Amino acid sequence: MKSSITPMFPMPSRWSRFKLQLLKDYRSWLLIGPSLILFSFFIWVPLLSNVYLSFFDSVGFNATSFVGFANYRAILQDSLFLTALTNTVSYTLWSLLIGFIIPIVLAILVSEMVHFKGLFKTGLYIPNVVPGIATVILWTLMMDPNPGGFFNLLLAQIGVDPQPWLSNPDMAIPLIILTMTWKGAGATMLIYLATLQTVDPTYYDAARLEGANLWQRFWYVTLPYLMNNVKLLFILQIISVFQVFYEPFVMTHGGPNNATLSLTQLMHRYAFIDGNASYGAALGVIISLILMVLSVIYHLLSRDKGETHQ
Amino acid sequence: MRLRQKTDGLLNFTDYKQVGYRVLYGIIVIFLLLVVFISIFPLLWLLLSSFKTAQELYSLPFRLFPNRFDLVKLKEVWVYLDFMKYVWNSIIVVIGAVISSVLFNGLLAYGISVLKPKGHHLIYVIILGSMLIPATTAMVPLYKNINEIYFFIEDTFGIDRGILTFVPLWLIAGANPFHFLLFKAYFDRLPKELFEAAEMDGASKLQSFFQVLLPMAKPIMMVVAIFTINATWSDFLLPYLILQDPAYQTVMVKIYSIQASMGTLMNFGPDKLLTVLLFSVIPPITLFILFQRQITSSVATTGIKE
Repeated sequence: MKSSITPMFPMPSRWSRFKLQLLKDYRSWLLIGPSLILFSFFIWVPLLSNVYLSFFDSVGFNATSFVGFANYRAILQDSLFLTALTNTVSYTLWSLLIGFIIPIVLAILVSEMVHFKGLFKTGLYIPNVVPGIATVILWTLMMDPNPGGFFNLLLAQIGVDPQPWLSNPDMAIPLIILTMTWKGAGATMLIYLATLQTVDPTYYDAARLEGANLWQRFWYVTLPYLMNNVKLLFILQIISVFQVFYEPFVMTHGGPNNATLSLTQLMHRYAFIDGNASYGAALGVIISLILMVLSVIYHLLSRDKGETHQ
Repeated sequence: MRLRQKTDGLLNFTDYKQVGYRVLYGIIVIFLLLVVFISIFPLLWLLLSSFKTAQELYSLPFRLFPNRFDLVKLKEVWVYLDFMKYVWNSIIVVIGAVISSVLFNGLLAYGISVLKPKGHHLIYVIILGSMLIPATTAMVPLYKNINEIYFFIEDTFGIDRGILTFVPLWLIAGANPFHFLLFKAYFDRLPKELFEAAEMDGASKLQSFFQVLLPMAKPIMMVVAIFTINATWSDFLLPYLILQDPAYQTVMVKIYSIQASMGTLMNFGPDKLLTVLLFSVIPPITLFILFQRQITSSVATTGIKE
């Protein structure tokens, strides 16, 4: 009798298993290859070469000699950077103040409606399909500081003097945020609304049996249901407003006196107007880092919250 | 009155037996109608103002309606700017972008969601990870890479870039993580047995893509196509950076350049700019009216706004 059993087919080695896998998969890779090339060319490689370029001097858009952190130091010492950072934070805060609550309130109200629900949804969403450039130019024209500008004509009807609107450095950022909110609130509202429509009515019935009033039902049923959406859209809104570019670029050109200059706009100014691609790249990296830190903080916070609830 | 039959939500029929809640409901309806009015009013103002002359636009007391709805002014502005040229450019960009977006994001999602070659998860993680860093921050190297393609075309083939100017704008639509996710979420829900059955019948990967997946993927392709049309028509930053030859400007780039040079254009005031804006919002609004249901329902289910 043989002491050991020889398998009829020898177990394939690691390497040949790997080759088999590749052979099996190569058709799949062929299919997704072109897409991966596009993602690399348009997203991944630019993100990496941005980091690379930020450590080099540049002529035109080409890296020349390694300079370490010199570009970063120069930007951090540029007073415009501080201005743009402050402005961008201000955009973010104003957008949370004006733009964050509105969609939540609207969604709760619309979800309670029996009449005109379709009209409310459509009417509130429509500004979202208006192209961004058209939106900002339209609002810029409505806020024309001339006495004959539309907003000023309205003010004149009630006997108020014409306002400078976007030319007033204190009002410019909130007005830009107002424009962005007009465009975006309806779409955000639809996301909340979709969640609200999945709330099981028996929760409300149970709350009623317990004698919960309207406020308590809102606080203990509606709000917890929305909380995941609220947290997600909170961070998404910060990330998207932090990149604000074309709104001030078109509406105020960053003025008056740089009062609305945003970080991405400064990046564009460094690279395409001052012709310093390295500064542009370095500022791009700084913006990415800030956003990544914000995302991480958010994830940590939302995880802690989840654990304490359990 | 259907309020008596409402069984869901914060307030239901039991609450609406009380007059107080019915009054509250009425107040909310009026409030929402008001908000909808504010939401739509700027577009209404745009429509009406587009017909006004410069004098009418700025005259006191304020009148909402123009003296007369005369299409002559609209036609004048259209002809003066040779606007059709820019509309064509935009249409060419949109068509290429839609094909590229549906094809490349769809194929990638098919690969990651259905074929699942070894390493597919890593790619998925990289795509999600790179979504955390907004692509805008890499605008400098992106611009450089695109220009290198242009130089490559011109040096190698010795031809003017001409209509090839639009190629990067087509291809970049094929690298859209949001549209990839839309496709993937849809494919993930399809029953896997379908693909297994096709494979048993000896269909190749590509065949099962065309014969099994595509027929079922029509709704999601439609949604991605609509989003791509809208996003491409409205896109500004990249077209603005790379379309430097005025002959190849898209509608949005042209509108921006008009606004930026307002002071220097002869006889072209804000009243005419409003007319141009009206032209630019007609296509997306028409598209929205036609595909309202698809657009609002996919915004609601995916949380992707554009």
